[in-house]
Amino acid sequence: MRLFGADILPLAAEHIVLALVPVLLGLVISLPLGWWAWSSRGARRILLPLTGVLYTIPSLALFVVMPLVLGTRILDPVNVVVALTIYAVALLVRSVVDGLDEVPGEVLTAGVAMGYRPLGLLFGVQLPLAVPVLVAGVRVAAVSSFSLVAVGAIIGQGALGTLFTQGFERFYTAQIVFGLVSILVLALVIDGLLMLLGRLLAPWAAARAPQRQAV
Amino acid sequence: MIEFSDVRKAYPDGTVALTSLSLTAREGEITVLVGPSGCGKTTTLRMVNRMVDPSSGTVRLDGVDVSTQDPPTLRRGIGYVIQNAGLFPHRTVLDNVATVPVLLGRRRSEARSAAGELLERVGLDPKVGSRYPAQLSGGQQQRVGVARALAGDAPVLLMDEPFSAVDPVVRADLQDELLRLQSELGRTILFVTHDIDEAIRLGDMVAVLRVGGTLAQFAPPAELLAAPADDFVAGFVGRDRGYRRLQFVGAGSLALSDFPTTGEGWLLVVDDDGRPTGWRQGEEHVALGTVHAEGGSLRSALDAALSSPAGRGVAVDDDGRVLGGIEPEAVITLLHASAGSTAGSSPESVR
Repeated sequence: MRLFGADILPLAAEHIVLALVPVLLGLVISLPLGWWAWSSRGARRILLPLTGVLYTIPSLALFVVMPLVLGTRILDPVNVVVALTIYAVALLVRSVVDGLDEVPGEVLTAGVAMGYRPLGLLFGVQLPLAVPVLVAGVRVAAVSSFSLVAVGAIIGQGALGTLFTQGFERFYTAQIVFGLVSILVLALVIDGLLMLLGRLLAPWAAARAPQRQAV
Repeated sequence: MIEFSDVRKAYPDGTVALTSLSLTAREGEITVLVGPSGCGKTTTLRMVNRMVDPSSGTVRLDGVDVSTQDPPTLRRGIGYVIQNAGLFPHRTVLDNVATVPVLLGRRRSEARSAAGELLERVGLDPKVGSRYPAQLSGGQQQRVGVARALAGDAPVLLMDEPFSAVDPVVRADLQDELLRLQSELGRTILFVTHDIDEAIRLGDMVAVLRVGGTLAQFAPPAELLAAPADDFVAGFVGRDRGYRRLQFVGAGSLALSDFPTTGEGWLLVVDDDGRPTGWRQGEEHVALGTVHAEGGSLRSALDAALSSPAGRGVAVDDDGRVLGGIEPEAVITLLHASAGSTAGSSPESVR
């Protein structure tokens, strides 16, 4: 499908990949970091402010600096992926910590008393119970990632964001608006899918309303 | 059997949770640890499954020093129930109960069907098995907690204030249920509570601990009430201990009086089967007081006498038919006769 002189579908696909791969990588990196911050007071004191600072770095600056830091070429999509992964980590480490904090103390005590080993407890009890908070964090990270990819157009890797740069060059408002709406729609669809995934992964969270019955 | 010998627990900041405790919880009995907060009772309990390790001294489980055991393996062999049940919110009731068998390597399907049977055993409808804990009442959750602790077929059960967070009526139900289960299963149970009434109701043996973790007295409940070792224990078992002690005295040989069938005074009204329905004085109709069932304790006999509007209580047999009247004086007479002989008696007979 060609619109405004560009092939839209490959652009959209590229946008999804450029936005979601960093979120996935960010989650993989944030899980151990978040667990570390959760379990050690010292690590928490360093990691949480640090990730907060990371998020305040302007995306444009980060994109431009990436080739210098990584030694990649200016037009390499790796620049965008790495930069957005940094943002995802900045958001998700806190989500992991918050999610693990959600697990009630008595549930942890019970888990230890039942004979779980630390890793079994983490994967069998703590992480499953952190899923609702984690999914909420991943949704924010994903939506933010979708909008940040567009900024990558400045360094020639913006996927649907290139519709903006080209639109501005040609003073073509319709193209800019189309780029904006398409990114928004994609972000909303992904957000909805992630919400559904959260429900599938944590069916118990919907079962909170107590149905009181005689003992 | 659980043996604590000279167990001490001090923390790096200098607080001493347990000074020196020696205690044996006998096989097949409920041993209750009771005391005010800060007396180290939960610490003591957690030493059995190595959630806390003693600073010195040894804890032996069936003769084996627990400090030689791998903690997770040890814990899978010991049932554990905590306050608020501590159920896993993300697992169904059935999967909660199946936790330890699955950890022990049993097949999930097998563990689930065994879990279903356990739910019935603790007085729950197996239909609740597919629900999540948040969908159950507090009392139901606590029953699931007990079922989960029983699921590994552990001979030893640790219970840490398991019934403290539920309302008094539900608590009484749960206590009855535990006694019933224990009469079927005969596990070795170490039970922690701050509630002396609960300790007296459930314990075969009761250990009263003081703040700082010293043992004030270790005795069967009847002895605790009849002969507190010191002022601390006397104060802790409470003001009504003389009255409460009556529940450990059988009322089997209580002399019953006959009821007058006619006349001016109080007349007992019975139905066609001989069950009491109320009292009548002249034209006035008054409800019954409490009724003493045959085989009950002296406490229930005295309560029947004191709560009756007629000044004498009603004793009934197992079918609820009137056996005779209970004069308060008869209760006191029997109490005098049994004085001194009850201190060491076993509470099982009249619990």
